Amino acid sequence: MIRRLAVLLTVILGSLGLAAPATAYAPVTIVHTEQVTVGPYRITVGFSTWPIRAMRSLDFTFTPADGIAGKSGTVAILRSAFLPPEAAPGSDPAATGAGPRRRMVGERLVRHPRKREVWGLDVEAVNNPGTYALRFAIDGPKGYAEGTLPDVTVLDQPGPPMALSWAIGTLPLWALIALIAIAWRRVRPGRRPLFA
Amino acid sequence: MVLLGAWVSLVGLSWDVQWHGDVGPDTFVTWPHLALYSGSALSGIASLVMVLRSTASQRAGRSFPRNAGGLPVSVFGGTFQAPLGYLISGVGAALFLLYGLLDLWWHTIYGFDATLSTPSHVALFLSISLTMIGSIVVFAAARDQRWARGGLLLAIGVFMVFGPIPFAGLDPLDLPINSTLIGVLLCTPTLLIMGAVLLGRWAAVRIAVVLGAMQAFLWWFSPWATIAYASFVGLPLRDGLRDNVPGIPNTIPMFLIVAALAVEGLLTLGRAGRLRPRVLVPLTGGVAGVLIGPSLIAQFVLVGESSFRNASILIPAAVAGLVLGLVAGYLGCRFAVLLRAAPSTALRTAEGEAA
Repeated sequence: MIRRLAVLLTVILGSLGLAAPATAYAPVTIVHTEQVTVGPYRITVGFSTWPIRAMRSLDFTFTPADGIAGKSGTVAILRSAFLPPEAAPGSDPAATGAGPRRRMVGERLVRHPRKREVWGLDVEAVNNPGTYALRFAIDGPKGYAEGTLPDVTVLDQPGPPMALSWAIGTLPLWALIALIAIAWRRVRPGRRPLFA
Repeated sequence: MVLLGAWVSLVGLSWDVQWHGDVGPDTFVTWPHLALYSGSALSGIASLVMVLRSTASQRAGRSFPRNAGGLPVSVFGGTFQAPLGYLISGVGAALFLLYGLLDLWWHTIYGFDATLSTPSHVALFLSISLTMIGSIVVFAAARDQRWARGGLLLAIGVFMVFGPIPFAGLDPLDLPINSTLIGVLLCTPTLLIMGAVLLGRWAAVRIAVVLGAMQAFLWWFSPWATIAYASFVGLPLRDGLRDNVPGIPNTIPMFLIVAALAVEGLLTLGRAGRLRPRVLVPLTGGVAGVLIGPSLIAQFVLVGESSFRNASILIPAAVAGLVLGLVAGYLGCRFAVLLRAAPSTALRTAEGEAA
């Protein structure tokens, strides 16, 4: 019996080990791309789902035309309405008086965990529908520059209404509160001595 | 076994959170997920066995030990007789498996979101919480035994770490204070005071020591297991990891011993009759909350948590600690009385039925 259990356990654990090598993780499949000019740099922004829907996670990739080597930068996903004037597409930071400030806003650009040759964000979700902009700051051999990909539309969330999802998801909490209420009514802890 | 399952679930969650932060790629079949699911399976099977044993005893006309799992409850019109503690832990484990299916469905719609605050994830955390609460009820019912008192200390420690996690469900409300912080400031003093009242002298200090040991283990294990597993499956760590602070272990108050000593002192005065319960209950909760809130922020700054680079929220944390501590004092004391009263209520019920 113990031997059989040991064999079963070995098979289960072995299959788990084999089931999860790096190749077992879903590859990043880009279904839509947009181009953005960030000063002297040209970036291709890739999306793993398109159109984007609120709360649905997706992979973003950011690929400079001549690769990521020797460059660094940041990316921020902002609501279009909250973009500062100097970040409007086509504007020159120096012309607006802001100047090249080397102010890295947003998340640092890092390699995508499942597509290491480019920068990216993995399983990232935008929580609310609306119009967004991706704002980049890139520093590299050709200097520092900022640029914006405007008008990225995020549609309404898929699936059932959130209120229904939360109502179903919090059932254990309501059950626990009901149980405590019943026990409270039967025992009346406030009327009993605190210490035994 | 129920407690072991709860512990395995806790370790699995801490590992999973570390994995998402440090490595990233996710599938359904990963070691951290296996730990999460096997923890609930372990607790569920153990609970089911005890419910079946209790039912068999009842049908054979034998008495089931009163301290084995707590108040006996009739389930499905008397088809089963389930000790309350095992009923709660078993229902939690069963719900976990059901909500696991909901979670799979959720991911097909919303993708593999690596966030705690989705309805399906919060449902899973609430289910695990039920199992952990069940383990507390089981040990509390047998607390006249030495093993049960030890088990209760561990069960309280495990739930102190896990209890704040479901509060992630408050994230979409955009509250002025981090929702996990609210969970810590409510759960930690509630469970500390509950355990201290229920288990007697020095229990608060013992709970703080147990919690410290759990924190030390998880602080070492979560990053170590993540790096080891990533290396095993051939995945690199993420670029740009800003701090080396493990997520879940760092939500555990590192300086709880200070609040535990204060609670110990106040309850000693209460037991000696020098503080009336009307004063003792809010005072103990408030003092514990005021000590835990700012000390948690100091901890974040001390360990270099990237989102807390300065101590500017020390005062708001003290205010939140005070408010939630007052609630915790009330709940902790009442829950202790509830847990203490359950076996005697069961005894009365059994005697009533016999009569």
